[in-house]
Amino acid sequence: MNGAKSAAQLLTATNVRALFDSVDAFLFDCDGVIWKGDKLIDGVLQTLEMLRSKGKKLVFVTNNSTQSRRQFADKFQSFGVPVSQDEIFSSSFAAAMYLKVNNFPPEKKVYAIGGEGIIEELQLAGYTGLGGPADGDKRAEWKSNCLFEHDKSVGAVVVGLDPNINYYKLQYGTLCIRENPGCLFIATNRDAVGHMTDLQEWPGAGCMVAAICGSTEREPIVVGKPSTFLMEFLLKKFQLSTSRMCMVGDRLDTDILFGQNAGCKTLLVLSGVTTQSILEDPSNSIQPDFYASKVSDVLELLGE
Amino acid sequence: MLSRPAVSVSASSSAATDASPSLFPLNTSQFSCQANSKVLRFLGNKKLPSLNCRTIGWRRSSSQPKSGSMESFTARATAQPLKNANELIDSVETFIFDCDGVIWKGDKLIDGVPETLDMLRSRGKRLVFVTNNSTKSRKQYGKKFETLGLNVSEEEIFASSFAAAAYLKSINFPKDKKVYVIGEDGILKELELAGFQYLGGPEDGGKKIELKPGFLMEHDKDVGAVVVGFDRYFNYYKVQYGTLCIRENPGCLFIATNRDAVTHLTDAQEWAGGGSMVGALCGSTQREPQVVGKPSTFMMDYLANKFGILKSQICMVGDRLDTDILFGQNGGCKTLLALSGVTSLSMLQNPNNSIQPDFYTNKISDFLTLKAAAV
Repeated sequence: MNGAKSAAQLLTATNVRALFDSVDAFLFDCDGVIWKGDKLIDGVLQTLEMLRSKGKKLVFVTNNSTQSRRQFADKFQSFGVPVSQDEIFSSSFAAAMYLKVNNFPPEKKVYAIGGEGIIEELQLAGYTGLGGPADGDKRAEWKSNCLFEHDKSVGAVVVGLDPNINYYKLQYGTLCIRENPGCLFIATNRDAVGHMTDLQEWPGAGCMVAAICGSTEREPIVVGKPSTFLMEFLLKKFQLSTSRMCMVGDRLDTDILFGQNAGCKTLLVLSGVTTQSILEDPSNSIQPDFYASKVSDVLELLGE
Repeated sequence: MLSRPAVSVSASSSAATDASPSLFPLNTSQFSCQANSKVLRFLGNKKLPSLNCRTIGWRRSSSQPKSGSMESFTARATAQPLKNANELIDSVETFIFDCDGVIWKGDKLIDGVPETLDMLRSRGKRLVFVTNNSTKSRKQYGKKFETLGLNVSEEEIFASSFAAAAYLKSINFPKDKKVYVIGEDGILKELELAGFQYLGGPEDGGKKIELKPGFLMEHDKDVGAVVVGFDRYFNYYKVQYGTLCIRENPGCLFIATNRDAVTHLTDAQEWAGGGSMVGALCGSTQREPQVVGKPSTFMMDYLANKFGILKSQICMVGDRLDTDILFGQNGGCKTLLALSGVTSLSMLQNPNNSIQPDFYTNKISDFLTLKAAAV
């Protein structure tokens, strides 16, 4: 096969130093890399401390849209890991930034199918968000003279992970996209499943997004990984060069692809959704540069 | 060559002027291309290729053979307005009718339907009603027909709820395996009638999830099939349950009653359809379902088998291009588009549309009026 990438290398004491020295900034996914549900993964705190002490820049890029950057910073705080809001790039933030960067008019509204994070980031960016968690209790009615109303000034529908998905939201989003002229359809991300709890995987935003694709027959603009939107955004902000960056993630089709699309080095950790057998399966065509069992392997192997 | 109409015909049945067919352009030197029907059989929510040869200036005289030299295309003539209803009626033995937008709209019967059905029956035609709506069972639909004053028996009705159960029967789905249902009562009733054990359905609509540490959602390991259809009680619990079954129970089937993007639950507006719920499960499982409703030919094959009829002896009458008409075409029968539902004449004639039925008409009662005009 032309252009086939060579198989991922196991991170070892021999190759870790070269990787470490060639990278100025480490980009970390969060779910399955830093934490799993509400549990911090072993050795993460010490590893991040070591990296900072050696002058490495840390950036956290998560497809999780249920919370805002501020709420994620609080989550880090609660684990005793010092991370500032400015170092966090959630897909909720990405959605709001996409609208800003594309001059979405502030008099138009945004309908959100997803969590509080999307609503908060929209507000911070100066937009009016409708829907979100508040619509979790709404029910549609089917009486012959009853019309399901929707706000005609909605100019964009943002869809992300929504554990409170219901028919009302599907219908509202569908009507906006099908009937409001020029209405945008934005997806925070399309992850099929994720570790919303530490014990098992749960349907991800990919599920809600596909539901809306099904009723609108349209494809969304994706702002989260593996789309390069977030990468372009943070490159501008931090003035980094992608060749001096390493993306660390647990998911091949979002994290690793994201890093590869941008020309970063990539490190897959097996502490999340991907196992070694998935990585090595012949049907898998995404090969990171390196793989390790978890983030703290970097610390151990370096012997710092 | 007939001239273009001076007046454009509106799609809604109430505003339609008399659909005098001679007003419509019959420029037989223009063809719409249509991709090979096998490709279109798998529809899902994929956009159909816009292969209108008018846009690339491809013209043919009517004397040229219909199957062209284009490798992957089967050229289809542009839909003809129905002029000689008698000819069509005489050429087929069975009429398959879609319901929403053809027989009724919401809860209102469309004008002239009872007389039309009676006329067809009096001429010895078999009538069958095929609907993608899975909320009701055949029995419940039978009641709806009765309430509207129509003489239709349960055995003539084939809803996608029935199709799901019939499909499981046709593959000898083991009776000791269970079926998880993301959908409404109609599916449950049909599964029960067919002797299958089921879980889920509307009552799972009340189940809530709390994503807390240490929480594990269990699922029945005996579930061998997940059936997904239109579901107004859709929620995260059901998505997760269905996802776990499909991902973790070996050999678990993923069956979709239908993938309609929108449906006319009330005649006033469109509502997100089964395609939405099915899409959600595709998104979380990254698998494609076996579709049993239109445009999949499962129901067509089932009917042909059951009644011992040839598909060339069937005419499919529907209001939707990407389900009804495609269903008919995939099945190899004649197709008639009724403009009394979701499709307007301009949608049919739009360059982006590549599905051309054999004929189109305003509503099915045109069978009566056109027949009279031809005499």
